[in-house]
Amino acid sequence: MTSIEAQGIEPGAPPSGAAARAVDLCKTYGKGDAAVRALDGISVEFERGRFTAVMGPSGSGKSTLMHCMAGLDSPTSGQAFVGDQEIGQLDDAGLTQLRRDRIGFVFQSFNLVPTLTAAENITLPADLAGKPVDKEWFDFLVGQLGIADRLDHRPSELSGGQQQRAACARALIGRPDLIFADEPTGNLDSNASGEMLAFLRRSVTEFGQSIVMVTHDPRGAAHADRVVFLADGKLVDELLAPTADTVLEQMKNLGG
Amino acid sequence: MWKVTVSGLLAHKLRLALTAVAIVLGVTFISGTLVLTDTLRSTFTSLFSNIYQNIDFEVRGTAAFTDSSGIGSVRKAIPESILPKVRQVHGVSIAEGTVTGYAQFVAPDGKAVTTGGAPTIGVSFDTHRQISALQLSDGTAPTSPEDVAMDRATATKYHFAVGDRVKILLIGPPQTFTISGIVRFGSADNLAGATLAAFATPTAQHIFGLDGKFDAIDVVTSPGVDKAAVRQGIARVLPAGTEVVTGQTVADEQSSAINQALGFFSTALLVFAFIALFVGGFTIFNTFSIIVGQRTRELALLRIVGASRRQVFRSVLLEAALVGLIASLIGLGLGVLAAVGLEALLKAFGITLPTGPLVFQGRTVVAALVVGVGVTVVSAVSPARRAVRIPPVAALGDHRSDQVESLGRRVIIGSVIGILGIALLAIGLTQPAIELVGVGAVAVFLGIGMLAPVVARPMSSMLGRPLAALFGISGKLGRENSMRSPRRTAQTSSALMVGLALVSTIAVFGASLSKSATSSVDNAISADAIISPSTLGAFGFSAAVGPAVAKVPGVTSVSTVYNGRFVAAGKVSTLTAVSAKDLAQTVILRMDSGAGPAALAAGELLIDTTTANARHLGVGSVVPVTFALTGRSTMRVGGVFKPNTPLGSYLAGDSFFLQHFANPLPAAVLVRTSGAPGTEAAIVKAVEVYPNLKVQTRAEFQKTQQAQINQLLGLIYVLLALAIVIALIGIVNTLMLSVFERTHEIGLLRAVGMRRRQVRSMIRSESVILSLFGAIIGVLVGTGLGVALAISLKQQGITDVVVPISSLVVFLVLSGLLGLTAATWPARRAARLDVLAAIATE
Repeated sequence: MTSIEAQGIEPGAPPSGAAARAVDLCKTYGKGDAAVRALDGISVEFERGRFTAVMGPSGSGKSTLMHCMAGLDSPTSGQAFVGDQEIGQLDDAGLTQLRRDRIGFVFQSFNLVPTLTAAENITLPADLAGKPVDKEWFDFLVGQLGIADRLDHRPSELSGGQQQRAACARALIGRPDLIFADEPTGNLDSNASGEMLAFLRRSVTEFGQSIVMVTHDPRGAAHADRVVFLADGKLVDELLAPTADTVLEQMKNLGG
Repeated sequence: MWKVTVSGLLAHKLRLALTAVAIVLGVTFISGTLVLTDTLRSTFTSLFSNIYQNIDFEVRGTAAFTDSSGIGSVRKAIPESILPKVRQVHGVSIAEGTVTGYAQFVAPDGKAVTTGGAPTIGVSFDTHRQISALQLSDGTAPTSPEDVAMDRATATKYHFAVGDRVKILLIGPPQTFTISGIVRFGSADNLAGATLAAFATPTAQHIFGLDGKFDAIDVVTSPGVDKAAVRQGIARVLPAGTEVVTGQTVADEQSSAINQALGFFSTALLVFAFIALFVGGFTIFNTFSIIVGQRTRELALLRIVGASRRQVFRSVLLEAALVGLIASLIGLGLGVLAAVGLEALLKAFGITLPTGPLVFQGRTVVAALVVGVGVTVVSAVSPARRAVRIPPVAALGDHRSDQVESLGRRVIIGSVIGILGIALLAIGLTQPAIELVGVGAVAVFLGIGMLAPVVARPMSSMLGRPLAALFGISGKLGRENSMRSPRRTAQTSSALMVGLALVSTIAVFGASLSKSATSSVDNAISADAIISPSTLGAFGFSAAVGPAVAKVPGVTSVSTVYNGRFVAAGKVSTLTAVSAKDLAQTVILRMDSGAGPAALAAGELLIDTTTANARHLGVGSVVPVTFALTGRSTMRVGGVFKPNTPLGSYLAGDSFFLQHFANPLPAAVLVRTSGAPGTEAAIVKAVEVYPNLKVQTRAEFQKTQQAQINQLLGLIYVLLALAIVIALIGIVNTLMLSVFERTHEIGLLRAVGMRRRQVRSMIRSESVILSLFGAIIGVLVGTGLGVALAISLKQQGITDVVVPISSLVVFLVLSGLLGLTAATWPARRAARLDVLAAIATE
């Protein structure tokens, strides 16, 4: 806990500015001839209180970008910031704390620990930190997500949609600086998928949450305030106030 | 399918390597034991052949009975007058009389030279080089009554040289001799750890109390004569009660006595080797179960593409057989090294063995491979059957490996096996039949192993609660993980369960034995001081001690206790003798019927109630007996006494005993004092010249007995430790497999903010729960077994049944700590998982 303060994270950062940003971020896998540049000098900002979608064809580097910016992977060169904290300067313990206290995650699948109930999964980051849970916020979230009556169930007893909503609640419970959602609707049917996206949208609009969502679904991206397009590890374009059609059009141009 | 098997093996190298360690250790134990005992057996056989190789015949007293207790038959000495007659027999080139007796060196520091169980032998030195197995390596043969030749091992160890004076303890008062020479035994510096003092023949006869007698006459024939004719010629001049045998016969008899002792040693070690393998079997079973579970999809795919059930079954078994084979081969190699190591260890303890090549018999290879491969394959049968039941459709769906299965059938089968085991144990213990006890114990363990999953979930939950309270979410997750598959939890802890059950059995049994020994001394001996040899396994001490102590002022009664072997009603038994006069003052003899001291004084036999019941004897019964010295006769039972462990089953008066045993060595001297101050110090002073003795009060004597029991227990614990180590390897293995299985989950936990330290404490919590679960069941089962064992041996002198709660608690705490240790590697591996790779795995 003390290490984060020592490393200069200010919990009460100003509301304006970027929730996260990348500066000339490069990531190379392999060496020599076999080297693959997954990220090729990307500089991008994700604004606070906004919903940003990251799109691009397979292999464009969108997942790598997310991993590097969330402290799950380390870039080969360049810098990534969460708030004002450059995450390249953090060791494993620092990165773990960063993820636990300042970032929320929603993955495509396997979001929940199978041995814990839905409620325990939601409070997991707080429990790991040994911090108390904001009970009102918890009740509010599970009520909004419609899983209040499923809290004592294990993941195996929940539907796919319920699992993803519990994951959502877990991401939001700590009011993180930023939520990274990696294809959060990838395994859901269109109904559950729509509810999920609507909720993410509301959490940005109503609670001022910052969200970055990696997706390949133009209708999903249409819920965002802004879409950034990646191709071959580079930032190639962006779109403000997107619709499904404009996104689709843009994707076609990229050859995705 | 061969390819599938091999690639499966290679894919699970690490997991199987850990499994193999269990087999490697067990097989090492087995092959090491076999190689060591075979080697010792062969060296002793060749040693005795060498000793007797130049001797054509030996003339000796006939044995009245054959004693298979390992000491060898007791023979009556033969008169010296036979020697000239034998020498005159045509074809006899050399004939020499020999005597053997007790002679123990005293080291320069005044302490008796001890051997760690080997005898301290005195012999007559035979001047004929051709006959004697002793070879002078320095100095000259002993000739004057002052001379002695010392074995080179003792001389080297205590820095004795030719010309030095050395005190020697004898059956009479100790005497001091001059070392005239140093001798070797063929190529060895001593005879398997025994010390040897060689005297000139007349001196030896005198100090061994054999004036005018020989124990044997060794004969060498002239070259070219018909040996059979010579033997007949010798036989013709021999009086009744003597016989002539070939040197080879004597060598064979001596080797077979040693072989018998080695056989016991080897069996004892093999029992522990099999325990280790049995525990190993549990860990193999568990590993294969988990691997089959993890490979569900792969195996189902094989079924889809056309593999038959039989092929899948064989593939799993073949994998087990290969693992078993490789592990057994490694174990075999290590076993040979272990044998070399053990031999060196024995040497370090002063048991210098004649050097001989390592004996590596074909049987050792066969035994190691059959047992190693057998245990592995048998343990894999049940997992293989599970593999066969995987439906092909499992390849398509998300078929979870740790699904909860119905426990109903297990409960029934487990209960049946368990109850059967208990029944066998009960029968085995009451019979007593040791084989039934073994089979029964195995069945009980298997039954409990099958039943354990039923209680695994509630017990893990209970055990995990304090951990969850202590370590927060990590402890909670560890607890949840141990609860998620009760079957795996139970299987993993089964091995530790067996190990701890055995340790607890021994602990309960040992505590009962120790307590019984204490109370048996209180109930059997009323003497104030007990004089006995200071080293365990000593063969007795000087007969002059009792009379010397009797002269000490303040000493009111002295009873010298003798032990000897005789045949009573057709069975070779031990006869104990005490003096009838002082019996009441030194021994507590509670009579059941008949007379006590009076019967002893009358030369009658006293027996304890156990023997009386078992052999249907009572006061007035006439028992046919045979003594080595005096042959057949009968004894009347004068009384029956209540069981008295130190006295044993048969008791006689000392005067009767001395008539029937030649120069027996006292086993103990019991002393009753007036209680006057300084008496004990005076007794100590009186026996000061006998450094091989210790004088103890009754309380001290009890402590010594307990210490001896504890020493034995310590040895058994060490041998059982191997089983515990194997059980821990099983836990390490399961945790590794679990970590591997939960890569994704651990990755998720790390992604949402679990620190490495928290990951480690999660795995450690699980490990501690697994260990404690196995340990608690094991301690409970072991306590039950130990109590049953102790109760069943009530007749054999275990009068008190004690459950050593504090030791058992220590075992539990140690198990928890061992669990913590076992988690080290899996925990580190889990903590080091690459988060990104873990969440990307699918």
